[in-house]
Amino acid sequence: MSNSNPTKLIQSHAQVLLFPREGKPFLAPNEWQVWDVQDESGLPAEYANSKVLVPFTWWRSQLDSRHEGSDVLTKAKKGQIGVWFAADDDILQHAELIESGKQYWPLVAAYFPLFRDGRSFSTAALLRDRLGWSKEIRMIGDVLIDQLLQGARVGFDSFALRHDQNLDIALKQFDLFTVTTQNSWRGKRSLLAIS
Amino acid sequence: MYKYDHIDQTLVDQRVAQFRDQVARRLNGTLAEEEFRPLRLQNGLYHQRHAYMLRVAIPYGLLSSTQLRTLANISEKYDRGYGHFTTRQNIQFNWITLEDTPHILADLAKVEMHAIQTSGNCIRNITSDAFAGVAGDEYVDTRPVCELLRQWSTLHPEFAHLPRKFKFAVNGAKEDRTVLLCHDVGIELKKNKDGNHGELTNGLTADIYAGGGMGRTPILGSLIKQGLPWQLLPSYLTALLRVYNRFGRRDNLYKARIKILVKALGPEEFARQVEGEWLHLQNGDDNFTRAEWDRVAKHFTKPAYQTLPTLSNEQIIAKANGVDTVAFSRWLERNVKAHQIPGYASVILSLKPHGTVAPGDATTAQMNAIANLADQYSFGELRVTHEQNLVLADVEQAKLFELWQAAKQQQVALPNVGLLTDIIACPGGDFCSLANAKSLPIAKAIQERFDDLDYLFDLGDISLNISGCINSCGHHHVGNIGVLGVDKDGEEWYQITLGGEQGNDAAIGKVIGPSFYADEIPDVITNIINTYVAHRNEDESFIDAYGRLGVIPFKEAAYQNAKKKGKTDKTVGEDA
Repeated sequence: MSNSNPTKLIQSHAQVLLFPREGKPFLAPNEWQVWDVQDESGLPAEYANSKVLVPFTWWRSQLDSRHEGSDVLTKAKKGQIGVWFAADDDILQHAELIESGKQYWPLVAAYFPLFRDGRSFSTAALLRDRLGWSKEIRMIGDVLIDQLLQGARVGFDSFALRHDQNLDIALKQFDLFTVTTQNSWRGKRSLLAIS
Repeated sequence: MYKYDHIDQTLVDQRVAQFRDQVARRLNGTLAEEEFRPLRLQNGLYHQRHAYMLRVAIPYGLLSSTQLRTLANISEKYDRGYGHFTTRQNIQFNWITLEDTPHILADLAKVEMHAIQTSGNCIRNITSDAFAGVAGDEYVDTRPVCELLRQWSTLHPEFAHLPRKFKFAVNGAKEDRTVLLCHDVGIELKKNKDGNHGELTNGLTADIYAGGGMGRTPILGSLIKQGLPWQLLPSYLTALLRVYNRFGRRDNLYKARIKILVKALGPEEFARQVEGEWLHLQNGDDNFTRAEWDRVAKHFTKPAYQTLPTLSNEQIIAKANGVDTVAFSRWLERNVKAHQIPGYASVILSLKPHGTVAPGDATTAQMNAIANLADQYSFGELRVTHEQNLVLADVEQAKLFELWQAAKQQQVALPNVGLLTDIIACPGGDFCSLANAKSLPIAKAIQERFDDLDYLFDLGDISLNISGCINSCGHHHVGNIGVLGVDKDGEEWYQITLGGEQGNDAAIGKVIGPSFYADEIPDVITNIINTYVAHRNEDESFIDAYGRLGVIPFKEAAYQNAKKKGKTDKTVGEDA
């Protein structure tokens, strides 16, 4: 597992903020738990029947291992497994695996070990632009109110904010700016949009 | 100069509103200082020794008289009656309260200014040649590309939290006046007549240098791309920044600049990775369009120059009618530069009068007066140089004497541009909480020691740069003589480097040995200068003499009356 992620994941709100590419932001119950590998044993029994985001590196290791892989795939086929990318996962090295994951994962997530670590912004941008991921990408980890706009523009459409963040203020972030000066996942820069 | 349209104005106004809300959350305690810090830094607000410091962006150093009056007004209303022009062509106010900041930003927005990305780990204010558009040796007027890049980089979402700060410089002249190779990315614009890149290019291409920087690991940038058509800059720079954002080090603040990544990979491998990323981006619609060029370039047309005869120096001096001709001639020699247009010249107003508080400082009254001079003599525009002086770029030669007299009244007419006392210095330990040592008293002591214009003119071109810590805001690495403040067990010491150079022959200076006490520095500089005077050939500049003689004679002279020396130098400091 990546050493840039804390062994204990940052706790998020019970609600998740969803902001579809075409639509308005709103709050919804968070159905997905985030699991991190703690030791060599597999996915704990508590996740047997729930939706869970597993580390991408763990997913890779499971598919490499014939014994356990089938259990994971069985659960995945029920739509109960998504993966989360650590900040230092080089997703471009695993384009094929991510391509094959499109048939299993209802969503993926990218982890922010620290709010001012911007690597996962590029991860989301690459998932959208390069790897053609069109379903949900969730921002997880040290997700604060003032990162939401940037996240929404690079390709995130789902935000599991850190537990202490005010969700009412969070919801108001997305209409702070009505103009932009570079393209983003959500639209062209203003000059192109109006001309 | 560039005028905001609805898009620019809306963005800046909305940014003010966003920051107002962030400040309110900080003040009501819902936003912790640690989490507010990057937000305020990205709006130019540092917490310093005494108060907050606000750094206001002056994009590529270009300023209108109206904007300068607003800066003057801010210095009076919210600060202590002065501002400090910086080596990155910005201005800083040193005595700001957090509560006032949103009001100041609102005042700035009214005159098309902001403090966006003047600090923090993001793309900073883009700097360029202070003489862009008027320099006699110019290939390309850099300003339209600078403005396009300013817009492209403003609030760029993917690159809002880079491993470290990121500085662009853009040059388009034969002589480099931007310290191009000491930037994270240096962009050299060229007119390439043989280029075959389609109609949009107009032969305008960019060479890209990456991985230069000062700080504790000074490195000159490496050429990683040649002949890039200008309109492809956004896609190429996106590729470059994406490689850096993903793979630049984040485990160690001091190893996080792009120069460390470029050095670790090697420039060829770094260029290859950028190229690989760019393959996927170069045909996308991130690139600049003809409409964008036209929208911006129309603001950088030539002002309404008159048809005037070119005047010889003798004719210009004759305007003085025999009064003060020696002093006026000196000013013409040092502070007046050649212009593209017959009958015009560019004038550098020196913000380095001898023995004042800080190189690059201007008072409220000076700023207002200089704004008036800009209106009267230079189409209402000014430029800030990276040497921390101001430029009136378009002055009629016939009015130089008149302007000189007016500038003298404001104490901005000292003819010391490019001379030993035209010192570049950061605010240092008097203000900056990062500094190991003070810079300003050192600058003052050296200026007072060499307060003799005859002698300074005899010494000729020589640069002396002072940084209060290894972050190198005072560009000491590229000074012919560099002075670096270091901390040894809580005491302030100063390390001397020699042989640094900016311009086309850019070079990083070499440390000559153990550091000195503050009160030794004027003697050390005197000894170094005396060595030059004793050994120089006719018309040989300091840097050429140093190149010929090597460090030994200068080093011996520097240490001839040195006091006891301390232990190992500690050059620890942190930067934001």
